[in-house]
Amino acid sequence: MTGVQRFRRCLLAVLVFLILTIDSAGTGLAHAVPYERPVETAPQEETIGGGYATPPVQKPRPRAYWLEILDVVLLAAAMAVNVWLVLSRRDRRWVLALTAACLAYFGFYREGCICPIGSIQNVAVALTDPGYSIPIVVTAVFFLPLVVAAFYGRVFCGGVCPLGAMQELVVLKPVQVPRRLDYALGLLKYAYLAVAIIAAVQPAVTRDFLICRFDPFVGFFRREGFAHMMLIGGGFLVLGMFVGRPYCRYLCPYGGLLSWISRVARRGVTITPNKELDCGLCAEACPYGAIENMRAVRKECLYCARCYAACPRETNPGALV
Amino acid sequence: MSGEVSRRNVLSSVVRGAVIASLGGTAGYLVQKAKGQIVWQVDASRCVNSRLGEVSAEVCRLCTTECVVAQSAVRAVNNFAECGRCYICPAYFNIKSAVDAKGLPSEKLCPRDAIRREPIGWVDPADPANNFYEYIIDEEKCDGCGLCVKACKEPLGLGSIVLSVRHSICVDCNRCAISTACPKDALVQRPTEEALSVRKAAPLATP
Repeated sequence: MTGVQRFRRCLLAVLVFLILTIDSAGTGLAHAVPYERPVETAPQEETIGGGYATPPVQKPRPRAYWLEILDVVLLAAAMAVNVWLVLSRRDRRWVLALTAACLAYFGFYREGCICPIGSIQNVAVALTDPGYSIPIVVTAVFFLPLVVAAFYGRVFCGGVCPLGAMQELVVLKPVQVPRRLDYALGLLKYAYLAVAIIAAVQPAVTRDFLICRFDPFVGFFRREGFAHMMLIGGGFLVLGMFVGRPYCRYLCPYGGLLSWISRVARRGVTITPNKELDCGLCAEACPYGAIENMRAVRKECLYCARCYAACPRETNPGALV
Repeated sequence: MSGEVSRRNVLSSVVRGAVIASLGGTAGYLVQKAKGQIVWQVDASRCVNSRLGEVSAEVCRLCTTECVVAQSAVRAVNNFAECGRCYICPAYFNIKSAVDAKGLPSEKLCPRDAIRREPIGWVDPADPANNFYEYIIDEEKCDGCGLCVKACKEPLGLGSIVLSVRHSICVDCNRCAISTACPKDALVQRPTEEALSVRKAAPLATP
């Protein structure tokens, strides 16, 4: 070891010693003078005097619980009315009126929340995470349309769902999507459902609710939202003019669940049972490609009643065609 | 169609019954697990702006910027019973601004002028420094930027002002946008009654 090296080493040792001493002195000083926190010094009514009374802290309550129950009741009632309108009354105009009413209430008044589509994620998390629970209202909103689907098919999609209603009202000149393409695109919603559930059942920190984040229409319901989602929503509406209900048919994960359960439905849309003309007007009128061989396919039928409106037998029952 | 007894119809009924039974069972499990109405709330003991021992120069404004509601659903709330009613409140005045003729800081801290200052109790007009003052936050103006919350934190203040979600404004997003951005995971879902009680900020856990 040369002299220079030894000198350097000594200098380093001295420096380290000095830094340590100063540092410990500093912390020592901080410990020596404990800071008394004046938590108890808030003056209370008797100290303030002059008849002063502490004002209550404003605590606005969330929406009343009975109003949330009312949402569920209205959801059930709207589905019942839709079943009656489509299966018994067979009237497209009344179905349209119900669609508009549900869009106004569940869409623009309730601002798209609470909705069964988003509740898929909450149900998935509640089933997997022991520390997470969902209110009874959410459970009811998730399961009611599914149970109805087991009897009557996709009633919820038809006149009740506000997302469906947005697209229902913009259908302008629908093209018939080729069968195979329609089928292939239809599989997308199951993939989306799987991805959304996987993203939701992650641990709380990394959990993501994709369905809500990429809800294309909630921005319209709230009259504010992220620019990119408003653009996507607008895109869906423009596309929806020419392709009937693109979100419902190809992307909606809840639509996937309903479509799957609808296969066992007891009743569904029937096109003038046993007296078809074989004219194909109903199949042409259906923007959703849900009529095959003069029969509505339950897993595709969206309860819009357009086929009735297009049928000469329905509109003019007495006439000989 | 439904009246016919065929193999297909019977099978369909059996499958339908199974589907409904499984849906019912799942729903039953979820109902039994339910804890009533749940709302989002800011946990003051986690919030960077109010939690004790947290030293940062900048105020965290994520509650203002991230909320999907235009004027955030998060508001600063003064828990009056814990307020020091100071003559010179560090959350009301910008205590770094120049002193005016009356001996008070010349600028206010709130950028939206949402805090009102009123003398309370026995008022001695001759000796304003000896009076108590109430600091009332205007719900309409506040956007939850957290400047006053940070200023009110001890040691200067008593920490009576905290950020709180206003349930009348909150649209109750399934996944609160602020919660996904919050660095301290301070937005939590709580049963309503628990969420309505204004909590005092707790100190950081000692390592």
